[in-house]
Amino acid sequence: MSGRRNDGVLLELDGVSAGYEGRAIVSNVSLRLRHGVFAGLLGANGSGKTTLLKTIAGILPPVTGRVSFCKSHAHPPLLGYVPQREAFDPIFLFSAREVVAMGRQRRSSRGESARVVENCLQRCGAADFAGRRFSELSGGQKQRVLIARALAAEPDVLLLDEPTAGIDAAASEGIGHLLRELHGQGMTILMVNHELDVVRRLADEVIWLRRGEILHGPAAELLTTERAAELLELRLG
Amino acid sequence: MELLREILDPEFLFRNAVDTSVLVGLAAPVVGAFLVLRRMIFLGVALPQISSTGIALALSLHVWYGHYDGGHGAEERVLAFIGSIGFALVAVCVLAFLDRHRRGSPEGRIGTAYVVSIAISILLLAKCPQAERGWLDLFKGQIFAIKTSDLVATAVTMLLVVGALLAFRNPLLLVSFDRDLALVLKRNVLFWDVLLYLLVGLAISVAVISVGPLMTFGFMLVPPLIAHLFAANMRQFILIASAIGGVIALAGFCVAYKYDLPGGPTDVALLGALYALVFTGKKMATMTRRWRMAKDAAETADATAVKGPL
Repeated sequence: MSGRRNDGVLLELDGVSAGYEGRAIVSNVSLRLRHGVFAGLLGANGSGKTTLLKTIAGILPPVTGRVSFCKSHAHPPLLGYVPQREAFDPIFLFSAREVVAMGRQRRSSRGESARVVENCLQRCGAADFAGRRFSELSGGQKQRVLIARALAAEPDVLLLDEPTAGIDAAASEGIGHLLRELHGQGMTILMVNHELDVVRRLADEVIWLRRGEILHGPAAELLTTERAAELLELRLG
Repeated sequence: MELLREILDPEFLFRNAVDTSVLVGLAAPVVGAFLVLRRMIFLGVALPQISSTGIALALSLHVWYGHYDGGHGAEERVLAFIGSIGFALVAVCVLAFLDRHRRGSPEGRIGTAYVVSIAISILLLAKCPQAERGWLDLFKGQIFAIKTSDLVATAVTMLLVVGALLAFRNPLLLVSFDRDLALVLKRNVLFWDVLLYLLVGLAISVAVISVGPLMTFGFMLVPPLIAHLFAANMRQFILIASAIGGVIALAGFCVAYKYDLPGGPTDVALLGALYALVFTGKKMATMTRRWRMAKDAAETADATAVKGPL
């Protein structure tokens, strides 16, 4: 995945309104994300961050507007999607390895797929517990498995929904380190996150859903102390 | 042992009933495993009931149009099959459509379909006592009179359904486990949902004709619940559920034959007893393990206290 970093636009949102059953939760978002960028998607509770991420991932159709990927490529880029980890029913008896294998989407031989899965488990530090049942893993371990699953798709862009929410500080630091590493290898990342510190530490750019307007710019510029305080107030409010 | 040898003899009078029971016992838990995983157990109760309403309607129409011959003729079986499969598939398609469009709560929809189908069955059969006899035989799971044609139809259908479920288990499990990922991976979620519903509907409608709604639901639900208590992975879950179903179907037939009991209720009662036994055994094993761990920890703490800090 190295060497992919360039100034070209990878993702473009043109007047996108995102929501459910035709009702928009977030309206009229227009922005562009470049290849190789690490962007944090911030906003108060209920501002529509997850809904917008799901719309970008193709899980929800846009209510209005258009999401388009990478006009320079002949085929649309592959997406790696990391959902919130509470979304999984423990009734399923999948091992961590089986969960990672679900992410494979390129057609390849069984041996090649197994090799990619093992490689992703290694990269994400999940190889040690790959044989354990997914539902029995800790929050941080589950998150590593879900990131490994997204990487198993050999994606061009990684979309993450609250990857550090509800896990302890050490695990959160580990996830942050892993994401920095992936970004260093040229991966484009868009991450929804509540935690300002995490976004400030990791992201180059911030997309801020703020009281009906969209702020998009460099993290250092947007996350000034006053704005951070405002965001915190909104979140707590 | 003598009883088992007699029952497994190829010349045994009720050989078709044995084969059909074991076949449903092996196949229904595989279908049920997918329903349990999707937490759609109630659909497993409702669909056999809806199927049997289809049978009630078919049998009643047969009588009302003056074709009743006083027995369980081939014509009646074909009509019952059409009624069963027709109602099950229509119900499955309607429920899948409503589920996709998120109209109302799923439990509410399935519950309403269940209770309305019972009411329709009773109303139909109240006006048609001749059809009631055949329908009650089916409902009670009187499987001893199964014909070779029914056995073949059941075998072919179950092979087809189980074969498809196992062959397509990866996409079917993916859309059940993580619908969002399936959409991100550009899988056709609607197609796999509809395929699963159709396979479930087909299996249930044929099983209801062969062994009745009680046995069909019992074998779809209880073996997967027992298997889930000690399976380590999804493959084991499906295989153990199927094995439990097959063994209990055979054991149930032996008991029913020996004590002259209806086959379906005997099987389901045995399944219930096994579930209670396994569940209690597992709980007791867990409690014993915890008690031993607590005892070991207490002994270690005592030993440390006696020795004092290093």
